[in-house]
Amino acid sequence: MNDILKDSPPSAVDNLFERSIIDVGIPPCPAILDRFTTELRKDEPDYNRLASIIGSDVGLSAGLIKTANSPFFGMHQRVRSVNDALTMLGLKTASRAVAGIILRKAFPNVANLERFWDASARIARLSGWLAQHINISGLRVDDAYTFGLFRDCGIPVLLGHFSNYGKLLVIANHDAERNFLDVEEAELPTNHAMVGCLLAQSWWLPEEICQAIRNHHDLVALESASSNLPVLSRRLIATSQLAEHILQKQLDLSITMEWVKLGPTCLKILDINEDLLESLYIEALPIAAAAE
Amino acid sequence: MNNIDSLTGFLDRSGCLQTAGRLSTDSTSGEKTFAAIWIDFDRFKQINESFGHLEGDEVIKNLALRFRNRVSGRAELSRMGGDEFVFLVPKCDRSQAQQFAGEMANTVEEPIFIGKLTMRPTASIGIAIHEPGEDSFALLERAERAMFAAKNKGGNSIVCSGDEPIPGRLGITLAREELSIESILHTALETGGLCLHYQPIIHANGHVEAVEALMRCSVNGENIPPGKFIPVAEKTGLVVRLGEWSLLQGTMQARLLQDAGFHTKVAINVSRAQLISPKFTQALHAALICSNVKPELIELELTESLFMDISETVQRNLKNAIAAGVSLAIDDFGTGYSCLANLKDIPARKLKLDRAFVTVLPEDRRALAVVRAMTQLGHELGMTIVAEGCERQEEIDALLDVGVDAIQGFFYARPMPGESLLAWLQARNSK
Repeated sequence: MNDILKDSPPSAVDNLFERSIIDVGIPPCPAILDRFTTELRKDEPDYNRLASIIGSDVGLSAGLIKTANSPFFGMHQRVRSVNDALTMLGLKTASRAVAGIILRKAFPNVANLERFWDASARIARLSGWLAQHINISGLRVDDAYTFGLFRDCGIPVLLGHFSNYGKLLVIANHDAERNFLDVEEAELPTNHAMVGCLLAQSWWLPEEICQAIRNHHDLVALESASSNLPVLSRRLIATSQLAEHILQKQLDLSITMEWVKLGPTCLKILDINEDLLESLYIEALPIAAAAE
Repeated sequence: MNNIDSLTGFLDRSGCLQTAGRLSTDSTSGEKTFAAIWIDFDRFKQINESFGHLEGDEVIKNLALRFRNRVSGRAELSRMGGDEFVFLVPKCDRSQAQQFAGEMANTVEEPIFIGKLTMRPTASIGIAIHEPGEDSFALLERAERAMFAAKNKGGNSIVCSGDEPIPGRLGITLAREELSIESILHTALETGGLCLHYQPIIHANGHVEAVEALMRCSVNGENIPPGKFIPVAEKTGLVVRLGEWSLLQGTMQARLLQDAGFHTKVAINVSRAQLISPKFTQALHAALICSNVKPELIELELTESLFMDISETVQRNLKNAIAAGVSLAIDDFGTGYSCLANLKDIPARKLKLDRAFVTVLPEDRRALAVVRAMTQLGHELGMTIVAEGCERQEEIDALLDVGVDAIQGFFYARPMPGESLLAWLQARNSK
């Protein structure tokens, strides 16, 4: 590997990062790590490319945000996206930390998370694009991306913990009547939205993102004017649901029932009519289809 | 004569403003500051409506006479119109102003006879202390706002400017200091200004049986004492958010200890607001799953306010917690809402005696008798007994002598950050 790693025993940041990744409990995607290694092996690795690779992985991104927000750095302001974390830690330091954990094979290899890894990266990317493209009032592109990436971060944790969770997800995805979380709670003592929210809180992600993670299947909270859900959280949820819907429709993926349940409310929140939606299907296609 | 109210003989509104202007000039030239006391009678409108304005005027005259006699030259008296009076008290600080306002409230409360009826009027009183450079309008405006705050409290009360409740970020009415704490808490949540410190609980046999996780809040280098931020968090509902954060942090710490080979429980405080939520069980399980800790290493400390109302939801949440494998402790037992009858309803394994019993030991024999009785009762119910707030060897000797099982307090260790805890436990083990 490139000399970024030579003669460098793990630094305090490397150790912190490794611990953060383990605490996060979401294994990084092996394909992404391979891409990262390939880039890093080049004579002159492109650090922006490395940053983009890290940013497309839930576990690595969460680990970096958690590291940047740890008391070790004593920051007064916490970072709220992987971009902020990379800026704060420095691209080289972050890359070296990632390379270090790849070399040491520090993370556990648990359930097959291919679908989760792929969907998170795509939803994040398309959410960021939507936030920019349709200019949603008060919504930062970075926040839309971060939320898209972490929205379902509770899923891999539950997959690693409950052997029947994969099957439960399939049932929940295709249940046209019940709330997604009700399906989970019928079998489990918790649900992925609650797990994700607690994790995001522990990484010090902004409150609006944490609340959006917690409520992203909750039609009542999304719809009701009197619910405590912040407006920004509603917009984040609506943006990511729209992103997921476009992805499923345009890539001919298996269609889940979430858009049937939440779609009309999401369109209302984003102030998107049928005509605009039709044009978004077409315009978003290159973004939706692009591999990382 | 100008600027005199014809009904009472007091200054009128413009006379009041002029006098305030003069006093503010005096106070800037080295005199002690002065206070504006704004008095408004509660439900005076009803007197006017029921008995007519003439009778209402008689009541005002009567009250004005009482004020004049009571004040006896200590303040400049004015009537702003209707049933509103402003008294300007020279050379007066906040506590003197409060005392003066209290006297006026007593003066108002003496019965008034209207026909065959006896009325006992009350007043809402606002106080503003003149600040350097402040003009008369601003001063009186503050006094009036404080009076309205007293009125909003239901009347018959006194409020100082600066203490009046204001709608906070979550729409809950708060006093100014509470509002500032609420804002600090939000900042802490946004900037990572919260952390848990851990205080060891030592069993009579010397073993560290648990550590209690205690929340600390620090923003921009300023530490906010828990006694200040916890009540505001409870009032605004933020306590649920803080509690969920603590659950995960506390369970993560337990996992760290577990990985380091310590079988030391982490006791996490759980508020009533968390337990009355149907989502509590999910949050607890989420924390246990994320941290991947053995549930038997987690203890939930239930605060005494829980005893106010043990609803079905609370009971279900407690039952679910036990089913999840965590244990329960009753915190601050023996004071407040604690009630013996509740002991049979809450399936706790541990009883933590309030520090109020400890600080008076061993001299206070009656307190010792109560501790002995509570300890026996707890043991009968299969609970272990912990005494909190122990600072002296004599206290500990007395407590262990009556059968208390474990001790928590500065005598053994102050609460410490998570990073120091492991080293502390290792050092203690190696002794």
